[in-house]
Amino acid sequence: MSSSKNALDIIKPLAELHGLQRALEKFPDGVKAAAERGLRPVGAMPAGNSPITQPAHIFNPDQFERGK
Amino acid sequence: MTGLAWLSVAEGSQLLRSRKLSPVEWTKALLERIAAVDPAYNAFLTVTADRALAQAKVAEAEIAAGDWRGPMHGVPYAAKDIFDIEGMATTCHSKIRIDHRAAADAFVIRKLHEAGAVLLGKLALHEFATGGPAFDLPWPPARNPWNRDLHPGGSSSGSGAALAAGLAPAALGTDTGGSVRNPATCCGIVGLKPTYGAISLGGVFPLTYSLDHVGPMTRDVESNAILLQALAGYDASDPTMTQRPMADCLKGMKSGLKGMKIGVIEHFYTKDAPADPDQVRGIESAIEILKKLGADVCTISVSPLSLWTDCNRTIHASEAYAIHESDLQERPEDFAMLTRNRIFPGAFVTAAKYIKAQQLRRALCNEMAEATRGLDAVITLSSLLLPCQIDDTALVLKTYDQQCRLVFNVTGTPCISVPTGLSKSGMPLAMQIAGHAFDEPTVYRVAHAYCEAAGTVITADPKTQPRLVPMPKTAAAE
Repeated sequence: MSSSKNALDIIKPLAELHGLQRALEKFPDGVKAAAERGLRPVGAMPAGNSPITQPAHIFNPDQFERGK
Repeated sequence: MTGLAWLSVAEGSQLLRSRKLSPVEWTKALLERIAAVDPAYNAFLTVTADRALAQAKVAEAEIAAGDWRGPMHGVPYAAKDIFDIEGMATTCHSKIRIDHRAAADAFVIRKLHEAGAVLLGKLALHEFATGGPAFDLPWPPARNPWNRDLHPGGSSSGSGAALAAGLAPAALGTDTGGSVRNPATCCGIVGLKPTYGAISLGGVFPLTYSLDHVGPMTRDVESNAILLQALAGYDASDPTMTQRPMADCLKGMKSGLKGMKIGVIEHFYTKDAPADPDQVRGIESAIEILKKLGADVCTISVSPLSLWTDCNRTIHASEAYAIHESDLQERPEDFAMLTRNRIFPGAFVTAAKYIKAQQLRRALCNEMAEATRGLDAVITLSSLLLPCQIDDTALVLKTYDQQCRLVFNVTGTPCISVPTGLSKSGMPLAMQIAGHAFDEPTVYRVAHAYCEAAGTVITADPKTQPRLVPMPKTAAAE
């Protein structure tokens, strides 16, 4: 996002799609910064893990059992 | 009055049981102290004086009749204002919830009521347990008893402040990315985030669905374990709960550390992110103490802190936004700026990104399980930095993620923050001790041995306490 105006142009329809017109009107900088944070990709998986084969997390306390 | 202010749960409980102390006397002393001291620290949103005195009188009569219910009987406590208490507003420190009235007690409040504990009131927090210390809400933010100009940590800010100011011997907090352990760290007290699913979230306003934990906060380790045990119990109405009973955390707590294996995640604070030298000195001296106590200490390594942060914050923002979406759409101006900015990103997280964060969580959990195999416990820093100015919003935002606590919300494993001394500027330092799932007893055992040897907790000795100040005239306008 090269400039603040361009960023807002991109974010405006997205924010409106999410019903955030009022927030965008009152807090344009906050919504813009939030969009930039929210749209940023999540970090890469640690080596040896693949998003193709890795199912989503389910808390498994047994995994952390002593001695296992 | 001053002596009763600094009485711990463990000490007070013994005195109550042997009838050397009356619950009414203890409760009255604390209510008087809250009235005198709290205007400078804003720890309490509501003081339930009449209810407290009534509960204390019942406890007194029961103990006198030989009907002692257990170690929380007659012990005063306070709860973060995110726990439902029948007939009272659960405000979550938010304008949005001012008119709320809870229909029933939260499960853990009911447990404490059954244990005979005495509720002093409801405590300040960061709005909806996120964001930071805000000045654009109906109530002022809680202040740090060690220096009221500095951040007390959060989001259970009132809980940390009340304990450090000697206003209550026990408090309840919640922890999604470190919200029990952060105020514990900043205020020099002891805060535990238990195993995910070990303590009921029933009747607790959620911040997220998969990272929230209820946690006990006290000034010392033994009292913390007593409070945790009183909170434990299966709640069928909470789908996150496991049916596994809480182990006895007091038995074996004083067995020492000889032969225990403790891993240190050093790279979080030496390589991954800059840390304050005083915080590093605190944990380094703690490692020396653990070794002297007979522990075998080694260094372990996991993914960089930034990856854990990315994982936690993506899940946090998405789930929190799902909870607050309609209010953020319809009345965003009623949230504090810090809260809005923390939750808004969730609107823009795609389903694919959320799923990838959950996949990342699974990979990170596998990695931590592997790294901690064969160890009894793990230690690392809690905060990387010292508390910043409470009203410096830019700094509050900048330092929000400068911490190692959210790692253990990602894993769901138990973790405690214990004080490691004071910085050169006189602010509390702390480290975290984490354990295997449902192994709270070992976490407490390490924490107790360390704190006993280091002498770092707040006690009745004035040298261990913060120097409290009266309310400055300028604060009256807050």
